[in-house]
Amino acid sequence: MIYILQIIILGLCLGLVYALMATGLTLIFGVMRIVNLAHPIFILCGAYVAYWLFVLYGLDPILAIPIAAIVCGVLGAIVYKLVFEKDAGSQKYSEMTVLLTFGTAMILDGTLSFFFKNTQRVTSPSYATDAFFIGDIFLPTAQLYSGLVSLSLIVALALFLKFSTLGVAIRATSLSRVNAELVGINVKFVCLFSFILGCALAGCAGSLVSFVFSFFPAKHFEWIAVLMSLVVLGGMGSILGAVTAAILLSVLASLVGTFLAPSWSTMVFFLALFVILLIRPQGMFGKYLS
Amino acid sequence: MTNSKYLVPLLALLMLTMFPLVQFFSNQNYIIHLLLYAFFYIIMTSSWNIIGGYGGFISIGHNAFLCVGAYVAGYAAVRYGISPFYLIGLSGLVAGIFGFIVGLITLRVKGPSFIISSIALIMIMRIVFDHWDLVGGASGITLPFNSLPVQWSKLPHYYSFLFLALAAIYLNWYVRHSKFGLALRAVSHDETRSAVAGINVKMIKVTAFALSAFLIGSAGAVWADYLTYIRPNMFLVILIAANIVLMVILGGKGTVTGPIVGTVIFILFNEIILTFFGATELNILLTGLLLVITLLYFPDGIVGSLKNKNILPKFLDWG
Repeated sequence: MIYILQIIILGLCLGLVYALMATGLTLIFGVMRIVNLAHPIFILCGAYVAYWLFVLYGLDPILAIPIAAIVCGVLGAIVYKLVFEKDAGSQKYSEMTVLLTFGTAMILDGTLSFFFKNTQRVTSPSYATDAFFIGDIFLPTAQLYSGLVSLSLIVALALFLKFSTLGVAIRATSLSRVNAELVGINVKFVCLFSFILGCALAGCAGSLVSFVFSFFPAKHFEWIAVLMSLVVLGGMGSILGAVTAAILLSVLASLVGTFLAPSWSTMVFFLALFVILLIRPQGMFGKYLS
Repeated sequence: MTNSKYLVPLLALLMLTMFPLVQFFSNQNYIIHLLLYAFFYIIMTSSWNIIGGYGGFISIGHNAFLCVGAYVAGYAAVRYGISPFYLIGLSGLVAGIFGFIVGLITLRVKGPSFIISSIALIMIMRIVFDHWDLVGGASGITLPFNSLPVQWSKLPHYYSFLFLALAAIYLNWYVRHSKFGLALRAVSHDETRSAVAGINVKMIKVTAFALSAFLIGSAGAVWADYLTYIRPNMFLVILIAANIVLMVILGGKGTVTGPIVGTVIFILFNEIILTFFGATELNILLTGLLLVITLLYFPDGIVGSLKNKNILPKFLDWG
């Protein structure tokens, strides 16, 4: 019993990190109807920023979060201006936008691979190998810290969306763009801002990921599918849904990884995607997407 | 003018059929390789165009069917000693049935969810094939070499691919001009209205998906024999699917000749890059850059843009 509890707690910590990775994605989709396949590569950019800051200046990855967020936010702003500004104008999903994000992902992937090659990297701050013990349950410090930081960032995001004026504007725009414009919301600015916010969240997630998982440029293809399965399961555009899905699937994945084999654990995400498409295409909390 | 419409393709076909004769005089294996590589991709892009171009279902996971076809042929070749060339039809059939089943599940959704499900398909297959000991797991299957002298060793693949490419192009043309294609295009515009008009929406979509899987699967059998070595991480990578999508978009999706034009131009482009820059990670960057530029400035592709301006050469205008 203790053993299963142990696995569930480990899955929970990872699930929170996955949740943070997915929130930016679902935020961008909610506001602009852009399925941002480039999101995982922004996470990787954040991870590289944290990695190099740690290697060159010994900066702790958790403290590097703001820097990674700023770098990814600026990168996101550039990408948005160059690539998406035209299409973000119509709040209508189009295949072309998905392919555009895919092309962007490939450009960034190629750039990262060119500079950093396909070497597996992981940031190793002093606490990366530590663990807490509570009775018989052990908690790896890295997982615990990353889980807690993710949780607080998600809560901060939720509070921001709930109570700040800009947050209300973002929620209004994702409900209905036309009506948002009618009540005087600057929709163009809201779009730009939420894209940058989404990318900055990816950067935050990246610096946490840098000491939880090992990473290399081509890794983002795997993450695309994992994150998408979370977003689809939760219902596209629903942040609460994405977080719930992330925790649920991550716990399930760590159970599968323990009782079957570690390499089968990601299968949970992909199979969940197929099952959810089969029985409830709109996801747990989502509206049907046409 | 009507003559040139048929003349140019027929001449091109004649030249391609006769081209291997140069092997009598000098060894041009590299050019033969490039040509058959182009045929191979034309099969994939043309079949992708059926569901992605006419049907509007963008799949970034069509190489899953290539993998199925290659493994059917590869497994039979190693276990039972049957030449993959006899198994082209069977590989296609298995891939087609697989596509039918996958289509029943994933074609229920459209738009972004469908694209995501197609990526998930490759990921699932990658994990399954990596663990499937019967077909060699992650280390794959090694096929026997053919015993032809080196000069002629590529020709069976050359002609098989040429034949399959013609079949794929014909099928593309047929779908464009048949009632089936009309229904498919209607479905891609509005499923509800098509259903009201009496179209069996589900069957049309799934059939088109299975059809394109069938052709890609048959190409997989020949490709397995050509490579003589198949491994999950050669087929189940997103880059192949990305290339297919890029080629079709570049040429013009939803047109008969678009996939051909896109494939030829992209392969030439790739060759030029390889010559000048070598094989580096920059290739991924340039592929992505080409995709983004095409989508932003010529979303209709080369054939589509020329057609819009009414300057499309007659021999490329097949609908």
